[in-house]
Amino acid sequence: MFDLEIDEETKIELYKTMVRIRTFENRARVLIRDGEIPARSGFYTGQEAVAAGVCAHLSLSDQIGSTHRALGHLIAKGCDLKRLMAELCGKSSGLNKGKAGPYHIFDPSVGALGANGIVGGSVPMVAGYALAHQLRDDGGVAVSFFGEGASNQGGVQETLNLAACWNLPMVFVCENSSPEVQKMLGHEIDYPQLSIERVSDRAQAYGIPGATHDGWDILEVYQAVGDAVRRAKKGGGPTLLEFKVHQIEGNLEGHLEAKDDEKTWCPIHRFKERITDEGILTTELDEQIRGEEKSRVEEAVEFALRSTVPEPIEAFKGVFAGGP
Amino acid sequence: MAERIIAYSEALNEAHRLEMASNPDVVVFGENVSSGWRQVTKGLKEEFGRERVRDAPITETAFIGMGVGAAIMGLKPVVELMLVDFGLVAMDQILNQMAKSHFMSGGAVKVPMTLRAAYGAGTSSAATHSESLYSLFAHMPGLKVAIPSNPYDAKGLLIESIRGDDPVLFMEHRLLYPMEGVVPEEAYTVPFGMANLVREGSDVTVVATGLMIGKAVEAADELRSKCSVEVIDPRTIVPLDEETILRSLSKTGRLVIVDEDYERCGFSAEVAAIAAEKGFQHLDAPVVRVATPNVPISYSPVLEKHVLPSKEKILKAVSQLLRY
Repeated sequence: MFDLEIDEETKIELYKTMVRIRTFENRARVLIRDGEIPARSGFYTGQEAVAAGVCAHLSLSDQIGSTHRALGHLIAKGCDLKRLMAELCGKSSGLNKGKAGPYHIFDPSVGALGANGIVGGSVPMVAGYALAHQLRDDGGVAVSFFGEGASNQGGVQETLNLAACWNLPMVFVCENSSPEVQKMLGHEIDYPQLSIERVSDRAQAYGIPGATHDGWDILEVYQAVGDAVRRAKKGGGPTLLEFKVHQIEGNLEGHLEAKDDEKTWCPIHRFKERITDEGILTTELDEQIRGEEKSRVEEAVEFALRSTVPEPIEAFKGVFAGGP
Repeated sequence: MAERIIAYSEALNEAHRLEMASNPDVVVFGENVSSGWRQVTKGLKEEFGRERVRDAPITETAFIGMGVGAAIMGLKPVVELMLVDFGLVAMDQILNQMAKSHFMSGGAVKVPMTLRAAYGAGTSSAATHSESLYSLFAHMPGLKVAIPSNPYDAKGLLIESIRGDDPVLFMEHRLLYPMEGVVPEEAYTVPFGMANLVREGSDVTVVATGLMIGKAVEAADELRSKCSVEVIDPRTIVPLDEETILRSLSKTGRLVIVDEDYERCGFSAEVAAIAAEKGFQHLDAPVVRVATPNVPISYSPVLEKHVLPSKEKILKAVSQLLRY
């Protein structure tokens, strides 16, 4: 299906990004348990290949819009881990001064615009990022992450139509976290949420390309997104990509390994085996990568815990751009 | 027979069960309503079947609009919004179609629909998962708005709402679900537009809603040795029992309004306007509002706490009035 050659360096970078996301999320779980992070967070564990494979094609001047399971997207897009962890802890040194929490993080410095607490809420906004690139003719692209649940929202369907009508440089990335059961992650339902098996089938209704891929296979993600990004940047308009994913359990002990029954869906496990077989990843290199990522995350935790909580008066600041 | 004590969520569940058993036109739908984890709708699917209790996809516009249509057809839909903030996705259906269809049709159609929504802050969930917003809905002519503050009212107001002929926004503070209180087993109604005199007093009138009733009562109890505080719970803000508020004001001459919704153009402003227009001759001091100031609600606990109404802020407001 794809014939793009992916060099060793890129493969190692993709692996590192996935390891970074999982290490960070497992550490955040511990901080939630300990009360250092004051609220729950949506997690991305098991979906790392999608964020890593998408963002590897984006530069800092390209944008993403995300969901309430945003940590993977934010990390892959390059958010500073220290300020990200500080935000989760509600500290004034956080990316959004402790006002956002996990569901509302914006980091324009890396094009992460932004996490979103409303299902489907970010998707129309991403069309605006794409419109700006089109008007400025700067070759930029915007990527919208959303789930299969959000794909039913009116705002998402309207945006698919608008982006297609205006030929916007945009990629719709639907992460279908319940691809086999027609149910919703975290929801017990006895009616299906989708009337079709593949979200990507809806692309045809808007006259744009659409395809479904295995989101646990990072090379498949990387190649599919590469095609869509190149098409968008060349004026070929939007694409709807669907990636099947399975959430897997994180853990509080910091292990990156999936449990035995989850290994098939674990993008890190699969990719590690693959690049080990290819001779790209040795045991020593793997240990080095995991050690480095763990250190970065621990530095972020130290920074967050050391940071101060905001002054209460900050609650009143920032309602309007002109102050107060 | 000993009085039975159950939780607010159980009282709501019981109201559903009694009305569904006595009226086959009562149907329930919303996100996740068949789940055993959802206390209010738990067991309804098992008892009344999946035809009448349906899980909807995350598509607020569609399932709220469907409630409006079903109500026009003579059904009695009880539609659940997981959080009131998500209702903003469906503003046309709520504020145009649900609110105005009866009036615009010259009375040719009725919309006997109940839209239940959890609301409220205090869980570090940040700006799109913490709001009250009932003032926004009360603003639109055609919608009734009920805000039960205890288990007894929750059951009686919900049954009244289901049996009524008008569209109702039924607001349940998420922190009230575990609250326990005396609730009769049989079906009963609490009429709309009839305030509850929660504490009788003679020096200061406190009008509050929802979770704020508990805080007002705590403040009243703490002040008992210094002054006598009357606490009024309107129970429905549309229709509003102005008479009870004005009668109390004629006795005390002092008014504090405690409102978790935003201050500007909100419920607290409405009650203050009524006091100014219709109770001016009774006022011995300026009206004091303890509401959420006009800033979005922050994630960081210290910031969130700083803006929310609290017992301490009520104590301060009452003391300020007594010194006037």
